Amino acid sequence: MSLLELNNISKIYGDLKALDNVSLSVDTGEWVAIMGPSGSGKSTMMNIIGCMDKPTSGAVLLDGKDISKESAKSLTAIRRDKIGLIFQQFHLVNYLTAVENVMVAQYYHSMPDEKEALEALERVGLADRAKHLPSQLSGGEQQRVCIARALINYPEIVLADEPTGNLDEANENIVLDIFKQLHKDGTTLVVVTHDPEVGEVAQRTITLEHGRIVKDALNANFKEA
Amino acid sequence: MFFRMIRGAFTRQWKKMLMIALTIALGASLATAMLGVMMDVGDKVNQELKTYGANITVVPKASSVIGNLYEVEGGESGETAYLREDELGKIKTIFWAFNIVDFSPFIDTEVTLPDGAGVKLVGTWFNHHLALPTGEELDTGVKNLRTWWSIEDGRWIDEGLDVYEPNCVMVGSVLAEREGLRVGDWLHVSAPYGENDLIVCGIFDSGDDADEQLYAPMDVVQALSDTDGYLTSIEVSALTTPDNELAERAAKDPSSLSIADYELWYCTAYVSSICYQLQEVITDSVASPVRQVADSEGAILEKTELLMVLITILSLIGSALGITNLVTASVMERSNELGLLKAIGAKDGAISALVLTEVILTGIVGAAIGYFAGLGFAQIIGHTVFGSSIAMKPLVLPVVAVLVLVVTLAGSVPAIRMLLKLRPAEVLHGR
Ligand SMILES: Nc1ncnc2c1ncn2[C@@H]1O[C@H](COP(=O)(O)OP(=O)(O)OP(=O)(O)O)[C@@H](O)[C@H]1O
Ligand SMILES: [Mg+2]
Repeated sequence: MSLLELNNISKIYGDLKALDNVSLSVDTGEWVAIMGPSGSGKSTMMNIIGCMDKPTSGAVLLDGKDISKESAKSLTAIRRDKIGLIFQQFHLVNYLTAVENVMVAQYYHSMPDEKEALEALERVGLADRAKHLPSQLSGGEQQRVCIARALINYPEIVLADEPTGNLDEANENIVLDIFKQLHKDGTTLVVVTHDPEVGEVAQRTITLEHGRIVKDALNANFKEA
Repeated sequence: MFFRMIRGAFTRQWKKMLMIALTIALGASLATAMLGVMMDVGDKVNQELKTYGANITVVPKASSVIGNLYEVEGGESGETAYLREDELGKIKTIFWAFNIVDFSPFIDTEVTLPDGAGVKLVGTWFNHHLALPTGEELDTGVKNLRTWWSIEDGRWIDEGLDVYEPNCVMVGSVLAEREGLRVGDWLHVSAPYGENDLIVCGIFDSGDDADEQLYAPMDVVQALSDTDGYLTSIEVSALTTPDNELAERAAKDPSSLSIADYELWYCTAYVSSICYQLQEVITDSVASPVRQVADSEGAILEKTELLMVLITILSLIGSALGITNLVTASVMERSNELGLLKAIGAKDGAISALVLTEVILTGIVGAAIGYFAGLGFAQIIGHTVFGSSIAMKPLVLPVVAVLVLVVTLAGSVPAIRMLLKLRPAEVLHGR
């Protein structure tokens, strides 16, 4: 059984079909890149998978459970328990230190545990920046804090929308290396990008255009790390 | 963690929080000052009315009946009925003699001035020295009873001194102005039973009818009106116990009381029992408390209180609006942060609690600043408006605290509603 399944979902804004009858299934441990030009519906799809939005029609199965009809309250709970989110703009709380930003996710999930949060920062190579405020960190470092925060509650699926969009080459590589490590550890990854280099390293690439999937292919060059 | 987030929010947003605190402080200070003044001044005036306000007038029975029937002032219609001057000393022999602070007899008559104007001439005691049958000595008279008179020129008539110049008269300010009278002037007055030359030794301002009258020693007026040994009224100032249900029943009809009640009433310094006892010693008299002064003061007090309540309400509404603006702006500015918290799984309740805690903590700081500022305001108001310092009632603090809490929460409602509507998808993808 696949971890995530989209069955004929559409998202319609007025007469604009941001997603048009899309079906897709993602298995546990898969690393999927979603590509496509601007406005093709990538973020819309991410929001629906990430339980931050509901499709106009169609069913979204996460762990075999249809989440498209759930109330806002239970969507919050699903987000908290099953999903790790990584954003293009990082979205760190700017008055909290790096480690506190990770602990916030623990706090709303269960119990903040500073030791565990520090370990998570260590895994993304930021142990020595734990007490810094976001304004004292570089973009790449902020994105790594964001990744540490997304991973801290052991989500079933990690969603990243343009995670490297604001990063330079060197930082992009650091992030991709982290993704490779995550994939190796068995984490399910869905990464939205319009950067071919980021798309290429994934296991499978899905291309959207005008709200439809126009291509869904396994990546020939993909190497298990 | 919650605490760290609150602390973080405060250190980063302290300017905004300070603004909110000051807005709350403004409302709280006005509320504190107004409530403090209101509660204390109300109490003070009440107390004053209770201890000093019980002035009693004693008039002849006939005059009182006519006065009540036709609602004219007792003195004018009482020509045929008088009280007896030789009974005055008995006032200090009643059961509650020690509660009688001051008293003064009055006799009045119409006199005509040289220009033909008719004026009321009042004879009374000014600072009369009294040696009582009990051996007690006492100085009493209008100088004590008319504390609100201000002497514009000259001096009070001094009965000790004026033995040597017995024809002194004090002139009301309005009359003095109209007649062009000044201290040292001679004034010729003629009355039905005689005439006299009086020397003006003081001009006073009373703010009431007395400003158009002449005040002279008793015997001068008695001679002019041929009423030697008689009085038209007596005014008594007594310390009294506040009325209760027993006093009210007794005031209607003392004979309706049981013996035990009657004794309790008679032996308590109710204004009604003092009146009753005065009637017992002054032949054919009616003694009644003067309530008009108290009532009008009470009415003004009520209006002042209403005004202060309105100011309090308005200032609190003002603060609530200010808080609404500031808190809403702060939530708007933080929509990214709050949206993110929602995205990583914070419940609406948890985020509302976070924002409300911040606002309430700010409110507590603001209320504290406002409360202490309000204590200061209250003293300023007390001194400038009421001429006395204000003793803060302990009740003010909890009342202000509750008001601030209500206002702060009410002011935060729109921000919380906005926060609940906030959808993480809309703020997190950088649209
Ligand atoms: N809340 C909304 N209301 C109306 N239209 C919307 C809304 N959200 C998205 N759209 C429209 O839906 C389409 C898909 O938007 P989406 O954000 O999914 O694109 P995208 O593929 O993420 O683009 P980009 O690469 O620029 O981020 C766009 O045309 C967008 O204008
Ligand atoms: Mg997008």
